[in-house]
Amino acid sequence: MSTQLVEPLDAAGAAAALGDANATGRSVIVRGAGTKLTPPASDVMISTTKMTAGVDHVAGDLVATLPAGISLETANDILRREKQWLPLDPPRSDRATIGGIVAANDSGPRRHRFGAPRDLIIGIEIALVDGRIAKAGGRVVKNVAGYDLSKLMCGSLGTLAVVTRATFKLSPLAPFSQTLVATGSDLRRLSTLALTLANAPPLSPTAIELQSPPHRLLVRFETTESAAAAQAKIAAGLCEQFGATTHVVSGQVEVDAWRAHEGRIFGMPGTVVKVAVLPTDVADLLAIVQRLTSAAGVECELSGRAALGIVLLRLGGDPAAHTTIVGELRREAGARNGSAVVVSAAGNDLFTTADRWGSVGDAEPLMRAVKARFDPHHILNAGLTPWD
Amino acid sequence: MEQAFLTELARLVGRDGLIADASDLLTYESDALVHLRSTPGAVVLPKSTAEVQAVVRLCRRSGVPFVARGNGTGLSGGALPVKDGILIGLSRMNRILEVDIPNLRAVVEPGVTNLAITQKVAPFGCYYAPDPSSQVVCSIGGNIAENSGGAHCLKYGFTVHHVLGVEAVLPDGEIVHLGGAVLDRPGLDLLGVLVGSEGTLAVVTKATVRLLRRAEKVMLLLAGFPSIDAAGEAVSSIIARGIVPAAVEMMDRLTIEAAEAAVHPNFPKTDAVLIVELDGPSSEVDELFAVVEGICQTSGATTIEVAHDQAQRDRIWKGRKAAFAAMGRVSPNYYVQDGVVPRTRLPEVLRRIRDLEARSGLRIGNVFHAGDGNLHPLICYDEAIPGQAEHAEKVAAEILMYCIEAGGAITGEHGVGVDKKGYMPKMFGADDLDTMQLVRCAFDPTGICNPGKVFPTPRLCGEVPGPYRAHPVERAGLAERF
Repeated sequence: MSTQLVEPLDAAGAAAALGDANATGRSVIVRGAGTKLTPPASDVMISTTKMTAGVDHVAGDLVATLPAGISLETANDILRREKQWLPLDPPRSDRATIGGIVAANDSGPRRHRFGAPRDLIIGIEIALVDGRIAKAGGRVVKNVAGYDLSKLMCGSLGTLAVVTRATFKLSPLAPFSQTLVATGSDLRRLSTLALTLANAPPLSPTAIELQSPPHRLLVRFETTESAAAAQAKIAAGLCEQFGATTHVVSGQVEVDAWRAHEGRIFGMPGTVVKVAVLPTDVADLLAIVQRLTSAAGVECELSGRAALGIVLLRLGGDPAAHTTIVGELRREAGARNGSAVVVSAAGNDLFTTADRWGSVGDAEPLMRAVKARFDPHHILNAGLTPWD
Repeated sequence: MEQAFLTELARLVGRDGLIADASDLLTYESDALVHLRSTPGAVVLPKSTAEVQAVVRLCRRSGVPFVARGNGTGLSGGALPVKDGILIGLSRMNRILEVDIPNLRAVVEPGVTNLAITQKVAPFGCYYAPDPSSQVVCSIGGNIAENSGGAHCLKYGFTVHHVLGVEAVLPDGEIVHLGGAVLDRPGLDLLGVLVGSEGTLAVVTKATVRLLRRAEKVMLLLAGFPSIDAAGEAVSSIIARGIVPAAVEMMDRLTIEAAEAAVHPNFPKTDAVLIVELDGPSSEVDELFAVVEGICQTSGATTIEVAHDQAQRDRIWKGRKAAFAAMGRVSPNYYVQDGVVPRTRLPEVLRRIRDLEARSGLRIGNVFHAGDGNLHPLICYDEAIPGQAEHAEKVAAEILMYCIEAGGAITGEHGVGVDKKGYMPKMFGADDLDTMQLVRCAFDPTGICNPGKVFPTPRLCGEVPGPYRAHPVERAGLAERF
C-alpha cells in the first residue's frame, strides 16, 4: 500500500484533503516534523510543514498567531525581535512544529513556570474531516465565549482534527538568565530539595530539573541580573543544607548545559517513558526506578520536572526488558494515582497502542464519544490512541 | 411538574432537599442578572455525588431538563432555570474535603465559596489564585462553569489553570473523573473544555484545585491621571518594558465617584486611576516597582500613592472591587458589560464609548482590567423612565459590537449564558458553532443539561455513526440537524 503525501499550504488545503479522504473512506495520518510518536501506516499523509505563512505578532498585546507548520525555534526567532517569546521549550524545538507541539501538548523544563501549551493557547483554527474549517477562542487573553476547543486540541494527537493555526499568549524575554547546578549523592534527597526550592517564597525559578546520572538539580533563574544573582545565592544556601555542592552557569555554558540535559533523554536511542505522580511521591518513584532498572540490568537516564511530579526516563539496552519495567512503573504510579506513558520507543515494536498509554480512566467512553463526533468514520490517526 | 416525578425527587434527596412550593421557588428564578427570570418546576438540594447522580438519572429517564446552580452570582443568566425543568442547587455540597499543603492541592465540593479555600489554607502561607470580585459568595462550581477570572488573572491565569481535576456527573448519570491531582493524566483534555462550558456538559461534584504560595513581597500603587489615555499610555509602557504585573486595574471619573460614595477608599478626584500590583521575590519586586513608579510619573500621573502595608492595599482593592455595587450610589439602575478588546485597541474603543455616552444621553462608567483589555462598562439608567432600560440594553449591545470590531470577545469572564448567546454568531461562524456543538453532543446527546445557554440555535445531535433517522422535533421543523 502506498501512502499519498499531501502538503497543504493553509487550512483550506488541509480541509479539502481531509474532506476528500473522508468521502472516499481513506485513512489519514497527520504529521508535523515527525519529532514525536510514529503513527501507523495510512492511505494519506497530511504533512503540515508547508503551512508556514501568516505569523501575526502583536507585541503590545503580548500575543501571536502562528501557522501550524512553523518550527518553534523559527517562531521564537521572530518574536525575539520584540523581546518576547512563546515560553515553551519541548525537545527538538529547532524542528518541532507549532501544530505538533499543540497536538502533543508538549513542553520542557520551563513548564515549571510557564505551563504547557494548553496553558498558553488562547485561540485555534482547525480543519475537520468533513472538509470544514472551524475556529475557537480568539486573539485576546481573556475570553470565555463558547467552548474552548483550543484546550481540547492540546494533547489530542491529531485524532480529532488538523490544527492549522494557533494563537498564544507570550512572555517578555527576561533580561538575564543563569542556572544553579546542584550536585548531590542521594537522588531522593535532591527530589526533596527540588520541592523546597519550588516552595521558597524568595525564589521564582523558571525551571527545576532533576537529572541522573550523575545526580544533579538544574535550577534556572530568568529575571533581572541582580534578582537572578540574589535568588541563586539564596538557592545555593538551601542546597548546601541538603548536602549538595553548587556552581552557577550563564551565557553559552548555560545554553550548552540545558542542551545536554535535553540530549540525555531525547538525543539517544531507547525507550522514553514519562511517569507522573504527586510531587511528594517523586522520591519513592525514583527509588523504584533504580531498583527496577538495576535488577533488569537496564541502563537508565533520568530527568524531570521534579517539583511538578513529572519524571522522564530513557531506558537503553535490551528493549525486551523495557516492557516489564514499564508495566511495573505503571503499576507503582497507578497505585499513587499517577501514570506511566511511553513517549517514544524507536526501534521497539513491543509497545502497541494500548501499551503506550495504559488506562485513560473512567472517561474513556466519553473520549470515544468525542472522537466519534469529530471523526465518525475513524479516518484520522486511527489506531494511535486508546480513545480511537 | 408531575406529582409522581416530585415524589421520586423527594425520595432521592429527602423532603428537606426538595423545593416545589411556588413562593419558595421565586428565590431561584434568576441568577445575579436579575432581569432574566424563569421559575423552575422544582429545586433539589443534594448533599452528595450519589444524590446528584440519582437526580440526573431520573431526569434522563423522564426527559426532564436540569440546570446546575452554585450560589447564583453569575452575570449572564447561565443558571437561569428552564421552565418545566429542575434546578440542582449545589450549595449544600460545601465541604473542603482535603488539603494537601506539601503538594499544594485541595479537594473541594462545588458549593464551597471561592474565598473559603483561601481562608482555609492562609495559615499555611497559601491561597487560591482566581479572585472574581464576587469571591466572598461565589462558588467553585460556578467558577468552573464560567471559567472565572478576577483582577489577578493577567499574571496567574483563570479557573482553567487552577482546577487540576474534577469528578462530574454526565447527563446520562455516569460519573467520570477528568484530570486529577497528578498532572498529565493520559487521554483527551476533556477538563480543558468542561471548564467554561457554562454548566452545559455535566454537573461537577468535586474539584481538585491548585494552591499557590503567597509571594514574598507584594507592592501596590494607586496613580491618578488627568485622562484615560494617559493612564493607558502608562499601561502600554509597563508591558513594553517586559513587566507582567499581578494586576493592572483602571477606573474612570464616574466609577471613582461611585466607589468614593460607597466605601470611601480615598481615591484622587481625577479622570482616571490606575492600580498596579507587583508580586514575587523581594529581589525582583523592589527593582521592578521602581520602574513602574517611574513610568507612571513619565506618563503624567498627578498623584501616586504607594501602599505600605496590607491595610492600605486592602483599602485600595476595596475601592476597586466595590465599583459595580457602588454604581447604585450614582444611578438607580445600571447594566454591566464584559467585552474584551486587544489591549492595544483600548484607547480607540474607550473613545467610541465616550462618543456613545454623549450620543445616547446615558452615563457610562468604565472600570476594567487594563492589563488584559477586559472592559466592564456600567451603563446607568432609570427603569422608572419608560423605555430607558431597553435603551441601556441597546447601548450595551453597541459596545459589544465595538469589541468584536476591534478583534476582541463578547465576554471576558461573565460567560455567554442566555444574555449574550444572540451575539455568538457575530463572533463565530456557523461552522465554528457547529464544531463546538460536536462536544456538546458527545457529552449530552439528548440535550437535557442546561439547555438554551451559550448557543443561539439549538441543534439535534443525531446518531453517530449509523443510518440517518429523523428526530420527531426535526420532522416538525423545530430544529435542524448537523
